[in-house]
Amino acid sequence: MEVSKLPISATQRGKLISAGYTSLSSICSASSSDISRGTQTAWDMLQEEQESLARITTSCADLDNILGGGIGCREVTEIGGVPGIGKTQLGIQLAVNVQIPVEFGGLGGKAIYIDTEGSFMVERALQIAEACVEDMLEYNRFLRNDCQVKTQPKDILENIFYFRICSYTEQSAVINYLDKFVSEHKDVKVVIIDSIAFHFRHGFVDLALRTRVLSGIALKLMNLAKKFSLAVVLLNQVTTKYTEGSFQLCLALGDSWSHCCTNRLILYWNSNERHAYIDKSPYLRSASASYSVTSRGIRNSTSRSKRIKMMI
Amino acid sequence: MGAPMTPQNLLDNPLTTEKCTVGCPIIDRCLGGGIPCNSITELVAESGSGKTQFCLQLTLSAQLPSSHGGLSASSLYLHTEFPFPMRRLHQLSHTFRPSNDHNPCDYIFVQSVHSVDQLLDIMPKIESFIKNSSNSRLPIRLIVIDSIAALFRSDFDNTMDDLKKRSFLFFKISGMLKAMAVGFGLAVLVTNQVVDLMEPNEGVNGLRVGNLGCLYSSGRPICPALGIAWANCVNSRLFLSRNEDFVVRENQMVNGGVGGSGSEDFVCRRTRRSLHVVFAPHLADTSCEFEITREGVFGVER
Repeated sequence: MEVSKLPISATQRGKLISAGYTSLSSICSASSSDISRGTQTAWDMLQEEQESLARITTSCADLDNILGGGIGCREVTEIGGVPGIGKTQLGIQLAVNVQIPVEFGGLGGKAIYIDTEGSFMVERALQIAEACVEDMLEYNRFLRNDCQVKTQPKDILENIFYFRICSYTEQSAVINYLDKFVSEHKDVKVVIIDSIAFHFRHGFVDLALRTRVLSGIALKLMNLAKKFSLAVVLLNQVTTKYTEGSFQLCLALGDSWSHCCTNRLILYWNSNERHAYIDKSPYLRSASASYSVTSRGIRNSTSRSKRIKMMI
Repeated sequence: MGAPMTPQNLLDNPLTTEKCTVGCPIIDRCLGGGIPCNSITELVAESGSGKTQFCLQLTLSAQLPSSHGGLSASSLYLHTEFPFPMRRLHQLSHTFRPSNDHNPCDYIFVQSVHSVDQLLDIMPKIESFIKNSSNSRLPIRLIVIDSIAALFRSDFDNTMDDLKKRSFLFFKISGMLKAMAVGFGLAVLVTNQVVDLMEPNEGVNGLRVGNLGCLYSSGRPICPALGIAWANCVNSRLFLSRNEDFVVRENQMVNGGVGGSGSEDFVCRRTRRSLHVVFAPHLADTSCEFEITREGVFGVER
């Protein structure tokens, strides 16, 4: 029997015909997998995720611990904190650590560093890269003598694709360009934007428009992360919000933006030590850890007191 | 797809960011070479701590050739507090005379700014002025704004709306300065004032920003003006503190020793001045002492 003769509404008829079902027998013989084209079972998704278990270490064991091993791929992690807490330092450390070869437990990938504020200093990146190579040589000496450390600090710098962005239009342009760039450089495994907030905190009189633009950017970055199995790290600034009669510290770019990222890590000071806590994550426990910024980069804090606190 | 944008190859440029010496090797060492180019450095201090001295000296040391740590550059000095200290600049120029045939003061361009609106108005003129100077003997590569706080503190009330407008302007001005810094390879030094801290470590005012838990000057806790919003706009923050020290010199002989027990303790008052790195992407938590003499600002090894 023809679909056009079935006792159904015109819209339903139209949809069936445009989907290619012209007779009753074709509908009956359609299997459930045909109909749910484009959907995935959770099991398939888990298999996919297991493949990309690699996480980017932060070089601080405590921080890695609360992050489930490090910064994860296929997701967007937002890291925010007051000026001077170490956001850029963490960004540079990740841009270096993503390049740690697979033999040493890393991803052996390259990094894209989008600098909107001008805090990226080459000599600091070189310092961190040199310390990373030294650590690898040390690891080699103690544990595995068969792997050669072929990476040189200058190679590490060469594998960071650095974009300096001076306006919000340039920022949007580079984010739009990322898809093409990464498909030409498939070994990029992390995209760091330092900071996502700076250019959006002026130039938008219409805040609703700003929210729309930011949501669009968040979507593009999430798709980028999933498509190429890379990690996206967004560094954010802090601002004050007047709630319940007092000024509270919160991340910039507003409430809507706070929903856009997969994970959120907040960096803060606590009695002379730098701490990080998981503010939002679909799968990580709320916990805080302390870390320090040394001449070699991000490392464990040196205090002896309990370094990781779980929040029940 | 987007238009192609080429990333910079980090190895194309020198592996150290270019810096401008402040005219003293001890202070330079503390700052990793001097004031860096391509970013904004903020100098925070209460009045009378030496901010302007620092700035004036920088406009002179910028003229030194790169072999001496300078930028071989002219400077643009935007001042918001009047009058411009011309006499002191003349005095300092005798110490930092790069060559005898040119008057260093010829290479310092001074412009007074009295409001935020005026500053925004003259930005395009500043940009074209800098562009035109690139062919001259000493192109402009240093901008000093002394002080940014003075521009903002009179025009804005303490209401939510005004504070939001003020924040908006911070990011706008900082964005423009950074774009120029990157475009022309400029070093930008901005000075800021301080406010008293009523309750240290409480509320947002007592929020710790940077290496020092609390900033002290003249023996009391203070914090930089313009709040967290402005702190987000600068790349590096340096703090100049001044404190009165009382030094006891014991057992000095008085009156030539006549009378036997003629020894007294003298108490001397001395101003101790220090420079601290509050935060900087390339510097550890360092500080050094300095003094201000007729010849200029110089670090002191203790």
